[in-house]
Amino acid sequence: MRIAVLLSAGRHAVSGRPAPVPVELQAIRLAHDLGGEVTGLHAGPDAAPLKDTLGHGLPRLVHHRITVADDPLPSLAAALIEGAFDLVLAGRTGQGGEDTGLLPYALARQLSLPLVPDAAALAEGPQSGTLSVEQALPRGARRRLVVHVPALVTVHPAAPAALPFAFAAARRGAVEARPGLVAPRAPTQIEERPYRARPKLIAKAAAGASAAERLKAATEAASGGGRLLVDPLPEEAAREILTHLRDIGVLRSR
Amino acid sequence: MTRPRKNPRTERAAHRVEGGARPRFDLAATAKETGRPRRDPRGEERLALVPGTARRRLDRTQRIAATAISQAPAPSAEAAPTVRIIAEPAYLVAVVPDASGGRLTPHDRQLLGAARILADAGGGAVLALAEADDLASAGADRVLALPVAGYDPEAKALAVQAILAGLDIRHALFPESPDGGDLARRLAAMTGEELFAGAESLSPKAVTRAAQGRRIEQRRAPPRLISIKADAVAAHSGARHEARPVEFGFPAIALGAILSADFIPADPAKVSLAEAEFVVSAGNGVSDFNAFRALVAALNATPGASRVVCDAGLMPRAAQVGASGTVLEANCYFALGIAGAPQHLQGVARCEHVVAVNTDLHAAMIERAGLAVVADAQQVMPALLKLLDKEAGG
Ligand SMILES: Cc1cc2nc3c(=O)[nH]c(=O)nc-3n(C[C@H](O)[C@H](O)[C@H](O)COP(=O)(O)OP(=O)(O)OC[C@H]3O[C@@H](n4cnc5c(N)ncnc54)[C@H](O)[C@@H]3O)c2cc1C
Ligand SMILES: Nc1ncnc2c1ncn2[C@@H]1O[C@H](COP(=O)(O)O)[C@@H](O)[C@H]1O
Repeated sequence: MRIAVLLSAGRHAVSGRPAPVPVELQAIRLAHDLGGEVTGLHAGPDAAPLKDTLGHGLPRLVHHRITVADDPLPSLAAALIEGAFDLVLAGRTGQGGEDTGLLPYALARQLSLPLVPDAAALAEGPQSGTLSVEQALPRGARRRLVVHVPALVTVHPAAPAALPFAFAAARRGAVEARPGLVAPRAPTQIEERPYRARPKLIAKAAAGASAAERLKAATEAASGGGRLLVDPLPEEAAREILTHLRDIGVLRSR
Repeated sequence: MTRPRKNPRTERAAHRVEGGARPRFDLAATAKETGRPRRDPRGEERLALVPGTARRRLDRTQRIAATAISQAPAPSAEAAPTVRIIAEPAYLVAVVPDASGGRLTPHDRQLLGAARILADAGGGAVLALAEADDLASAGADRVLALPVAGYDPEAKALAVQAILAGLDIRHALFPESPDGGDLARRLAAMTGEELFAGAESLSPKAVTRAAQGRRIEQRRAPPRLISIKADAVAAHSGARHEARPVEFGFPAIALGAILSADFIPADPAKVSLAEAEFVVSAGNGVSDFNAFRALVAALNATPGASRVVCDAGLMPRAAQVGASGTVLEANCYFALGIAGAPQHLQGVARCEHVVAVNTDLHAAMIERAGLAVVADAQQVMPALLKLLDKEAGG
């Protein structure tokens, strides 16, 4: 299977220095475990921060050189058509750029590939030419989907951890530079300013509110006092509790 | 506990009969009450005294005592709810809540709150594109269910695209949740419109989001497609809206590329406490831990515990709920024999539903709970197990 992993130029979450995006390293691991020929693709002005990805199990990285003002979409689309890949893996969202997670969707649309979001595990499908994707849902649940390849799959942070960095592999790996396509970005109305943390509107849920506020939110009743049963028979109490749990939908009736 | 405040001088003046040279008093006349009633501190204290405890304890909130007396909540308060009707909206604000299982999540309610902000700014109406109970109180004016069954995001996006093209929709709002965010991005790719993904604040004039790893804030006037993060906008708390179903002729929608989709529920025994959906937790009031573990398994829940229990080695440390343990994201928390110390309640702050069993009527956990049972946990647990067993058998 020929697999392409899309790698963006990220920034470290804490230091802000150029670094690979963790979820894309996890994508490399998923591709590595699936087996086959894995190629990294990057479109951007500089591939130096992505050298580290070679140490995390990526044998080959193709860098399409474009300027900062260019849109990476046409370059990546052209590279994916030329490479005729069976599977394209991307991160859920980047880290350090726009961080919208829109690029894989636009790319899938342009190449008319089916897109499967939030993969936590990949395996060969039941028939040949299919892929079974385990999708990460909130609260530890999963959804197993089967799609035809070629497909584009985005990877969720719940996927297995990235392969550890190996210096020899990083030296062995090759970065190939090619010219990208010139495609100036469309102007937007967006204004940018330095990030300012704003007070959370909902003090109840705020993680950063003051200690007194959090204590108040934590200790006061959720809905102004609920139902109260004083000294019921154990059977009556059990019945009440079960009906309440069914009413709020946490108890799946078997 | 209170009786009228007595003022002998005004009483005397009230009994006094007008006229005559000598002062004359008619003692049969009643004095009219004046001023504030007089407090009876001893009576108040007697009422606030918590019975059945070894130490002298006062509960001055009196909330519990009041609810204990009036057992069933009076339905008269919601006898005639006022409904706000927007008959001729200038435009529509569409909302696509997740509403998994026909139930609005807190995030969905915040989304409807955001839609109300955008709709009320110009006389618009809110159109909810899902079927769920409670849409009226969450602030939806119109309801339209999407004709998509099962997991098929591509078909869902096509249906929403048809609505965007067919109706006068000024904004479409999506939750920035796994499924909602996916749908919003599919739609943006499909229509070629700009999506403002993961908005962190919203007003009729501007939306903002974080970019570049929270170093930059991006801001613009609200575009058509917006996805909103959780806890960014307050839910609608005003009058009910009518939530009137509307008709729409959907075009025939081809099936998406997904060949099969199976839902695999999380194994509650393995899922981490922070991710768990339903937590059953034991405190110092639980002594029968075999029954507790059996109950946790029977209810298909994740086990938790208070610090006292973990300190005693009766439950693993990883099960500790609270400020120095795990802060839960669970939907429901079932506390057995837990007093509800502030350190413990902080861990439960984000749980929507709390059920408590405690012998102490005045425990803070009882006050926090949506369903509170004042009973012995050692008797309730076997009763619950027996009932669950009977239901599974019959
Ligand atoms: C810095 C700090 C951090 C802390 N962090 C945490 C934390 O993260 N998590 C945490 O849990 N605690 C924490 N604590 C401890 C916390 O203050 C309380 O001591 C603890 O939560 C009390 O646990 P409990 O409610 O199980 O026990 P108790 O306070 O002993 O309460 C037992 C309750 O069970 C009831 N009961 C007794 N018998 C029965 C019965 N037969 N049936 C039903 N009910 C019965 C009693 O009425 C009582 O309400 C912390 C404390 C400190 C100082
Ligand atoms: N310039 C780029 N070159 C290669 N892949 C990219 C680039 N930008 C984004 N991607 C991929 O698209 C995903 C989502 O990025 P974004 O839309 O920027 O959040 C990333 O995790 C990458 O896998």
